[in-house]
Amino acid sequence: MNLRQTQKEATRRRVLDAARQLFETVGYEETTVREIATQAGVAVGSVFTCFASKAEVLSQVMLDRLEDLYAELDRITPHLRGSVVDRLSSIFALHYAFETRRTPLFLAHIAAAYNWRPGSDSVPYGRNPRLRGMIYDCIADGRARGEVAAEADIALIVDTLMAAYAWNYRMAAWEQAGPDQMSAELERQIALIARGFAPAAAAA
Amino acid sequence: MKHVAEVEGQAETRVRMPTRRALAKQQTRAKVLAAARELFSTQGYEGATIRDIAAAAGMSTGAVFANFTDKSELFREIMTSDLNAVQSAMSEAAARGRTVDDALLKAFSAGYAFYRGQMPLVRAALGLSWSFEDGQALRALPAMQDTIELFADQLALGVERGELSQECEIKLRSQMLFDNYLANYPQAVFGGWSLDALQARSRDQIRVILAGARRG
Repeated sequence: MNLRQTQKEATRRRVLDAARQLFETVGYEETTVREIATQAGVAVGSVFTCFASKAEVLSQVMLDRLEDLYAELDRITPHLRGSVVDRLSSIFALHYAFETRRTPLFLAHIAAAYNWRPGSDSVPYGRNPRLRGMIYDCIADGRARGEVAAEADIALIVDTLMAAYAWNYRMAAWEQAGPDQMSAELERQIALIARGFAPAAAAA
Repeated sequence: MKHVAEVEGQAETRVRMPTRRALAKQQTRAKVLAAARELFSTQGYEGATIRDIAAAAGMSTGAVFANFTDKSELFREIMTSDLNAVQSAMSEAAARGRTVDDALLKAFSAGYAFYRGQMPLVRAALGLSWSFEDGQALRALPAMQDTIELFADQLALGVERGELSQECEIKLRSQMLFDNYLANYPQAVFGGWSLDALQARSRDQIRVILAGARRG
């Protein structure tokens, strides 16, 4: 990394720190790029050399936040016990509990992600390969234990569960539901799908 | 007021003719809606301003506000007419299905076919649907509920025909079908998925969602 790259990286870090603070205290809509620049002690132009838009800053802030969640999950997942449904429910429930700590910011993130443009560095909401990976592994382990039919299409089941997981955030958005209600709903949905992928003998 | 008398005379042919003023108002609304649709598609919801919409429609912002209270009403009006149209297309498609899988797949596909070429507008709607007030209003549109109902009706028919078990949790399952139906739009918006790709994915999703209901 040459000097210029090092400086750019440092600016990027400062912008992200400033933005996270402002988003959490003032709110996403209410924060301007100018305020982010001031708080970070950089020029407005410097913000735009690192990020194409405020939405892109938010996208990166939200991705960085997830590091905490995944550190927690990495500790917890090896100790998960119980059926596939129980384990899947726990993984998703931790996500709900985490994201609903800052519901308005999380919803702003989902909404802003739909302004995503091809070629930008931000990641549209829903591309969460680590969660997908965990869910996939959890079902694959279940298959190894004989809880999941050998012929089950795991990637497809992951897709279906991810759709239910993601759209349950509408409960937080419009029904002021907390993480427990969302987790309970998803558990019923997981159980419903699980009756379809259980080995024939177990389902009878 | 001679023309008013003539109009009332024609009303006896059972079709009530709108007055000239009402007609002009209707045309203004249609012009604003067409301009708004275009701008929401190119600029997104946030990017499109009432000023730009008025300019594109060739009228003052005052004239726009005389017909619509705000931007969100404009957007809701466009969504409502589209959703009503897509809802009837999906219902007709489902009615042609021979099995529950087939009917659901036909309904999904009719939805995706309707919005083909309108993905920028879909993107704007999806973004807006997560905002607090506007999202609630969009979700509460009758056509949205009708789509979930449509899936529920098809599941009920599946039970009647003996394709699905009696205890197939129609409410929860139709909600999941709807979630998956919606979740494919981002794939089309961001991944540029073709109708064929959407259809193949939908077929698989429907199979996974119905799998647990086929066992007695």
